[in-house]
Amino acid sequence: MTVRLVVRSLSELCITAGALVVLFVAYLLYWTGVQAADAGAAQIDTLQREWAGTPVAAAPAPARVPAPYVTGKGFAVMYVPRLGRDWEWPVLEGTGPDVLKRGLGHYARTAPLGATGNFAVAGHRRTHGDPFKDFPRLRPGDAIVLTDGTTWFTYRIDRGPYRTVPGDTAVVDPVPRKSGFDGPGRYLTLTTCDPEWGSSHRLIVWAHLDATRPVTDGRPQALGS
Amino acid sequence: MYGWIWRHLPGNAWVRALISIVLVLAVVYVLFQYVFPWAEPLLPFNDVTVDGQ
Repeated sequence: MTVRLVVRSLSELCITAGALVVLFVAYLLYWTGVQAADAGAAQIDTLQREWAGTPVAAAPAPARVPAPYVTGKGFAVMYVPRLGRDWEWPVLEGTGPDVLKRGLGHYARTAPLGATGNFAVAGHRRTHGDPFKDFPRLRPGDAIVLTDGTTWFTYRIDRGPYRTVPGDTAVVDPVPRKSGFDGPGRYLTLTTCDPEWGSSHRLIVWAHLDATRPVTDGRPQALGS
Repeated sequence: MYGWIWRHLPGNAWVRALISIVLVLAVVYVLFQYVFPWAEPLLPFNDVTVDGQ
């Protein structure tokens, strides 16, 4: 009788553990994606509503004082045509886990968007909407387009994807040493993890600011419309 | 364990089945809402930055 009880309890425990693992995988693969897509779309909506409410003609990019970004708040939208025609994600301030589950995260200690220095952004490769799933397909010359509501910034990739180790913080320096840039400029760095489901390495691309245009002039050519 | 729960639920088989479904849904909700978000950072999928955050 006791043997029976032990065997039955053990079986129930195994079934419970199995169900738990399956549920967790479903959570990672599916549910975090649903939540990230919702949060990302809501964030872009909020930004566009904010931008629609403020006068655009105020001042073009160079004269503008960089607004202090608020941690966890979105301030720009990124478009990467190579990753898909409708690939668009909000960029939020900070790179904490609670920020990155809602979009791309701007390294707080790096330059603001469009300014001299290095505008560095991190994003998930897998889970939470898989924003950077196709990161290895990025090539030199590809456009990375951002808007902050007043200006379109078109960056062009110079180097990458470059594989490095997680401790290599020099990749987000104002002039990243291994990028091939030889002086101060308006740069952009994207970081994500590598391999796809691991965390042993990081993938990096570097880009420089190629063109800016006021939003009143319409979408940049790199976006194809 | 499950047998014990089943025996302690009130009502006939249909009522018990209904309560069981509600219990299962409640457990799934707690897992998705609280337990999994807590457990996720312990796994390596979230490390996408270079400064160890």
